[in-house]
Amino acid sequence: MPVMTAPEPVRHDRVKSAAERAAIDASCRGPVLVFASSAVFWLLMGSMLALIASFKLHIPYFLTGSPELTFGRVRMAHLQSVGIGWASLAAVAACLWLMCRLSRAELMYPKMLYLAGALWNIGVFLAVFGIIFGAGQSVEWLDAPPYAPPFFVAALGIVSAWTVAVFRRRREPHLYVTQWYILGAIFWFPWLYLVAQFTIFWAPVTGVVQPIVNWWFGHNVLGLWFTPVALGSAYYLIPKIIGRPIHSYYLSIIGFWSLALFYSWAGMHHLIGGPIPAWLATASTVGSMMMFIPVLAVAINHHMTLLGHFHRLRYSPALRFTVFGAIAYTLVSFQGSLMALKEVSKTAHFTHYIVAHAHLGAYAFVTMIFFGLFYYMIPRLTGREWVSSVLIRIHFWCAAVGITTYFAALSIGGWWQGRMMNNPDIPFARIVMYTQPHLLTRSLAGLLLTTGHIAFAISFVMNLAGWGKQRSGGPTLFVEPQATYPPGPPSL
Amino acid sequence: MTPPDIALLATVVGSIVLFGGAAAIALGWAFRDGQFDNFDQGSKSIFGPDEPVGEATDAFPGINVEVEEATAPW
Amino acid sequence: MDRGMVIFLGALLTFSSSWLGLVVFPFQQLGNEQPYTKEEGDVPYPQPLQGLALAGMRVYQHNGCMYCHTQQVRSVKFGDWWDANGEYRTGADIRRSYGLRRTVSRDYIYDNPTMLGTMRTGPDLANIGVRNPSEPWHHTHLFNPRSANAWSIMPSFAFFYTREKIVGNRSDKALSLAREWTVDPGYRWRPSAKEWNAILANHGDVLVAQWTAGQPASIDIKTPEGKMRLLEFWLTTPEEEYQVIPNADSEALVAYLLALRKAEFPLPEANE
Repeated sequence: MPVMTAPEPVRHDRVKSAAERAAIDASCRGPVLVFASSAVFWLLMGSMLALIASFKLHIPYFLTGSPELTFGRVRMAHLQSVGIGWASLAAVAACLWLMCRLSRAELMYPKMLYLAGALWNIGVFLAVFGIIFGAGQSVEWLDAPPYAPPFFVAALGIVSAWTVAVFRRRREPHLYVTQWYILGAIFWFPWLYLVAQFTIFWAPVTGVVQPIVNWWFGHNVLGLWFTPVALGSAYYLIPKIIGRPIHSYYLSIIGFWSLALFYSWAGMHHLIGGPIPAWLATASTVGSMMMFIPVLAVAINHHMTLLGHFHRLRYSPALRFTVFGAIAYTLVSFQGSLMALKEVSKTAHFTHYIVAHAHLGAYAFVTMIFFGLFYYMIPRLTGREWVSSVLIRIHFWCAAVGITTYFAALSIGGWWQGRMMNNPDIPFARIVMYTQPHLLTRSLAGLLLTTGHIAFAISFVMNLAGWGKQRSGGPTLFVEPQATYPPGPPSL
Repeated sequence: MTPPDIALLATVVGSIVLFGGAAAIALGWAFRDGQFDNFDQGSKSIFGPDEPVGEATDAFPGINVEVEEATAPW
Repeated sequence: MDRGMVIFLGALLTFSSSWLGLVVFPFQQLGNEQPYTKEEGDVPYPQPLQGLALAGMRVYQHNGCMYCHTQQVRSVKFGDWWDANGEYRTGADIRRSYGLRRTVSRDYIYDNPTMLGTMRTGPDLANIGVRNPSEPWHHTHLFNPRSANAWSIMPSFAFFYTREKIVGNRSDKALSLAREWTVDPGYRWRPSAKEWNAILANHGDVLVAQWTAGQPASIDIKTPEGKMRLLEFWLTTPEEEYQVIPNADSEALVAYLLALRKAEFPLPEANE
């Protein structure tokens, strides 16, 4: 058996290393900021659409006069705006920047990435406004009208090729865990998207095979696109911010491969009890139960890495958002595994409980980690600090309290909605009226979330516009070590 | 069991053998290739001389982490 | 060989397992299902949608109806509840008369897209054409769901209807709705006190005559109470000069709803 010796760490001096990192960040600056800023734009758009849809569920006369803002259309437009707009564009920004930094390679030929950014935004624009003006497709996650997907596919192709190109030009010999996740994600998502588009729209398959493919896509877009990028981001940010390597590299490799194998099998339990072969739902239930392995691996790893460093949550906005997201990942995955069980699903199915679960995943986990990444990444790209602590704090507390309230209200409401729906002696009217206060609470939570997003967007735009304090000296240090101002009391 | 059931079972078992076998071979190769030697070394690859292990790299604007850490009660 | 290739091959292998299992196998198992004919010469079931109903399916699709209404009836064994005597029971869908039987994959072979749905903010519609075959009911309900069920949170689809001045006779297609629903389409209308006083000043006598034609009791519109009672009566009468008629979209949508009969025809594989 050949024995490999540990690679001798290359001895740069501090200045040289910092200069290299600054050059890499500078090469990413343009394209990554294009993706990041358009992500923030679609986040705001998605929040507005979400609020309209949410208020309509307890005030049916709210904006009811025009077909453009009817509930079904707004709900479809919301999902495209936050799913293909915000979260996917943020994921692309994350993939590009993290891949450059971890490969220690500059981003080459950025013009093609500007083109990709433009194509992607045209695609989201066509999707959102196409749906609003009556061309929604009623295929969950794939509601975009037929003229929008070619733009995503082209943009995605460029992004994947560029990410791989950076990886191929890497100077860092070691492949860090974040890079595994990113390489997986940029390969899985195009495959998923093309198969789903092909079998549902371009050459439609028969009958119930469509919803089967639909849920294979719908579940995997979270499991094999958002989750790997967000986890990869957390695997980089948490150790990097607290200055401590991750607890166990072995656990991370188990986590990665078991996620790749098992997560892709989940999804069919969305059709539990429906007109599909029983073995399909069973296969997905098995896949979902096996998800305990990667989730435990990641949970133990992140927790043990942080152990003894929790006080840093008070100082680092990026860490605070990221850790919130990492905890939510554990929760949402445990909940998801349980929900795949038939005993749980027969109550939760067809209710707001599912909506709560989806937002725990897509918001409390994925979106919060992307917020954390943005708070870390943007100052390093623009060379300016965030302009205001207060805005960041407003953002964090609105997001944290908002999503917790959202989850609690819809989980409780949805569960009892399901119990009542399973009892045919209870008239439907009573169920509709029972959910009203829960839906109202959800709207209030949505207002809170939107307030946070506005604070975030203000911070973001001010930073781009050059309002923040210029970062002098070492280009990658967030806080200047020689700063002389007296510290204020740390506040949470 | 009807013929379609048997065909399905055969495909499922066949796929498990195929995919499981491929995974086992890949794992064996990875061990022999030495990919698991000095494994934890890799976790330090994200640190460098300018951002070494043990140094925090992010804080709210206006907070000096080192001063805070020195004066904080923990 | 660099380790990037390991990641790539591993990602390919794991993912293609699920692609085979969850896309290719189901496609092979279900992709070629044929309509059912019990005896030779029978009309096969199901039949593809045609004409107006097909156009209505597009209206249903483009307006996201699926996000509140499922189209699948589950077996009598699915789900559990306890009845008034504390007895354990299963299966609510059929008891709620969502269908006469569970739906199976064959019911959907002509659906494109197949809108099974995942949410029941509103009731299931797989068999709505059998459960509620009244075309006028569906029109008035779509125009303003609160006119049928006060508790409903369904959006009004009044934008699929036209309110127009009656020329000649009232149209056969006109919705038989009271003026409180039709004056301001999509909303529930009430005149302000000032408007009501003006109406009374102009047409008070006619309205009182209408009231007394159906009621033995007389009414005094000088008193606030009489005014109020006459208003409530007046709001429940149809508008004299205006009518609401369906547009092409709502005509098609109702034709589609009436064509939804997925859980009626007996199929051998759906005997639960």
